Amino acid sequence: MAGTTEVKKAACYFCHMNCGMLVHVEDGVVKKVTGDPEHPFNQGAQCPRGASAMDHLNHINRVNYPLKRVGERGSGNFKRVSWEEALEDIAARLKKYKAEYGAESIATAGGTNRTDDWARRRFFNLLGSPNVVHTSPVCWIPNFLVETAIYGWSAFDPEIMGSRCVVVWGHNPGASYLPEMRGLLEAREKNGTKIIVIDPRCSETAARADLWLPIRPGSDCALALAWLNVIINEELYDADFVENWTVGFEELRERVQEYTPEWAEAKTWVPAERIAMAARTYATSRPACIQWGVATDQLGRATSAVAQARAVLRAICGNLDVPGGDVMPGPHPTFITDVEMELNELLPEEQRAKQLGADRFKLSTWPGYKLLNEQLERVWGKGLPAEWMCEASPPVLWRAILTGKPYPVKALIVLADNPLSSYANSRLVYEALNKLDLLVVMDYWLTPTAALADYVLPAASWLERPVLTTTYGVSDWLIASERAVQPLYERKTDYDFWRALGIKMGQEEYWPWQTNEEAFQYRLEPLGYGLETYGDFVQGVRFDFAPREYYKYLEKGFATPSGKVELKSSILEKLGYDPLPHYVEPPFSPEATPELARDYPLILIAGGGFMPFYHSEHRQITRLRLLHPEPRVAINPELAQELAIKEGDWVWIETPKGKVKQRAKLTTAVPPGVVQAERGWWYPEKGAKDLFGVWESNINACLDDDPDTCDPACGSWCTRSVLCRIAKVEG
Amino acid sequence: MRTMHWGMVIDLRRCIGCHACTVACQIENNLPLNERWNKVFTVGPEGEFPLVTSHFLPRPCMHCQDAPCVDGCPTGASQRRPDGIIIVDGERCIGCKFCMLVCPYGVRQFEVEKGIVQKCHLCYERLEQGEMPRCVETCQLKARYAGDLDDPGSEVAALIKQANARPLYPHLGTKPLVYYIFP
Repeated sequence: MAGTTEVKKAACYFCHMNCGMLVHVEDGVVKKVTGDPEHPFNQGAQCPRGASAMDHLNHINRVNYPLKRVGERGSGNFKRVSWEEALEDIAARLKKYKAEYGAESIATAGGTNRTDDWARRRFFNLLGSPNVVHTSPVCWIPNFLVETAIYGWSAFDPEIMGSRCVVVWGHNPGASYLPEMRGLLEAREKNGTKIIVIDPRCSETAARADLWLPIRPGSDCALALAWLNVIINEELYDADFVENWTVGFEELRERVQEYTPEWAEAKTWVPAERIAMAARTYATSRPACIQWGVATDQLGRATSAVAQARAVLRAICGNLDVPGGDVMPGPHPTFITDVEMELNELLPEEQRAKQLGADRFKLSTWPGYKLLNEQLERVWGKGLPAEWMCEASPPVLWRAILTGKPYPVKALIVLADNPLSSYANSRLVYEALNKLDLLVVMDYWLTPTAALADYVLPAASWLERPVLTTTYGVSDWLIASERAVQPLYERKTDYDFWRALGIKMGQEEYWPWQTNEEAFQYRLEPLGYGLETYGDFVQGVRFDFAPREYYKYLEKGFATPSGKVELKSSILEKLGYDPLPHYVEPPFSPEATPELARDYPLILIAGGGFMPFYHSEHRQITRLRLLHPEPRVAINPELAQELAIKEGDWVWIETPKGKVKQRAKLTTAVPPGVVQAERGWWYPEKGAKDLFGVWESNINACLDDDPDTCDPACGSWCTRSVLCRIAKVEG
Repeated sequence: MRTMHWGMVIDLRRCIGCHACTVACQIENNLPLNERWNKVFTVGPEGEFPLVTSHFLPRPCMHCQDAPCVDGCPTGASQRRPDGIIIVDGERCIGCKFCMLVCPYGVRQFEVEKGIVQKCHLCYERLEQGEMPRCVETCQLKARYAGDLDDPGSEVAALIKQANARPLYPHLGTKPLVYYIFP
């Protein structure tokens, strides 16, 4: 009908927040995108990315049709093919690899929260391959899994409004989670909530803290252990909770004696009395919460030790699952969560055993997943999704592709991911991608990774797809949003892709839902709203927050083998890890590698979110790019003067792995011995043949992912404490 | 009907420098990609590490009630509306840029394609329809407020009183309608 105007309730996928958006659609054409005032996160607001949604939808460089490579890999030449031709050929080749090398020779790499990841896992379980990867070892998962081992779910839902003290640790919501930052400032304005920020640099968030602890990059573990030392020795912990609901406290007490604030001062560069004061503030301001921060997932072999010490802090201070504290939501009790859609039970035991990295990174792979889920299913009724929580190790995957060991890997399906820019050791990733027999990339754009692909498939973005926000099914709420328009051109959703490929692979009976909406409707039915379509649910219900319950352990116990918080973790012990908090120095530091530090004397922080971009995205959105046209490396003016570097100079950042250049940004937000480089940089304006300049400024080319330097439990590589040197680019 | 007396309060304790207002304003007003009526500046960091401070400063048109741009405009294109909002009548503007020269806040932009000077008009058309300016609506940190300065019950009047909001560079004497809460 001509002249119809609708307002669609969509959700933005330009970052994790999934902010609600109202999309004004006239005759099937998007005319305007505004924030949804009814949405609990953004409350009508938009960030610069959300505001520029139409630029993304209609961008001239979007991939709109399936493309097949013609000529040499890396030549950047593609021709348009039909979906049918592409899927037919991909399926035929996957069948061949499966027959010749086993299903494990086919792998997939995914990205963050733009997709229905359960569909990916469903496809791979049906295929029989355990080799699914994301950047999970460096994003959320190590903290989540270690916490789950200790207290039976992650306490990732801090109740800031109601908290007396919030510890923002390795996290900068001021540049990455804007609605969360608003909540933080509002809590302080309304309740006088104290904000403690732990960050090596004066971030947007640190600049607004009541107390900022500028630690040496990567020394988080020392700080957490010293807090434990102070809180235990000064008896500031919650004695009742410790007595009734924990095991291992005496061993913990003994263990932390060596970790005095004076000991930590040398490690963290923060004065001992300041460490102690912060510990006292945290422990005596109850309820308090410690927020998750991604930086603590990226500390190489020190990663899970930091998570362990922080989990124990939350527990002994009596903040677990209390109002205003570290709330453990548990899974949504009613609707069908991600894990229930994955068909993990169909992956045979012998295929699970082949998961790359499962022999060494045991918490984040099948061995740990099995132990955790036994407990979770007993107490919560359902476990964690295998997506993200049970994955092959990316560094082990790249090496398997390159060496054929422990077995050949021939094909990789990359969806919502750009491994050349998002994984450490980019040169090795590049060699691995080149070695593949088949590389399929589904994306919005021709990315550096897509430029190497055999097939590039057009992905629908959030205006073109419904979104069911469920935090991968590990939270007790969901938000349902609809698509504003059907996918333009021949773009498809990831669900459509997995289903179509699944059908070609003989999985038809397992893909009964023809569209995302049908699948979502199936998942929502148990909620009992009695609505006929997914669209009715979005328009009529949209949000389902299970009634918030606290102190759930009083009734259920904790989902651990002892039913209590295991300060000494039996699950970590069973997997062969130190069951008690302990100190681990990150793999690259003046202390860990003094000989390396002679040639590479500076500590490099290779990461940290910054506006207006998200990860490696949005560099082609002109109005955003003009706000931040080039990568910038933060350098203290004192250091810059020593090296004759001026504001805006191109600067080489060099490690033993490689060197890239970024523009100097002179700032006292970092100390003289530390530099911080931006991540995710590539130049969409440069050609596919040049891989869009991915070697010029991509800081991941300077990072190592040697499995021996990675976290022993979760396989995290190190990005936040790396040794480097810098020099002005001459000429 | 009583005339509104529009004003804006920007809470610099809240602003986090995300540039959402810059971008949303650009889209709302259909500006060329490199023209911005609503820039955000970084102030600092000042001091030596770790004793540093920094904040952000969004800078829309200040809508001065004693406006040099209006006084100096040779064609009468720059005007002050009864509700206090300073606008540019594109039909009358000859692009002489005198207003750009005299604006102490540097908020005026020469639009190359049209050959005229334009700037923030507080989204007066939205205000007339009962909507907030786009920069207010879009702000994730809720750092911006718009309302009637003459109404003592309005959010803006309350903030000016309680949080001691004051104009930027008040010594210039141009009497802006935009107030800042400084950190």
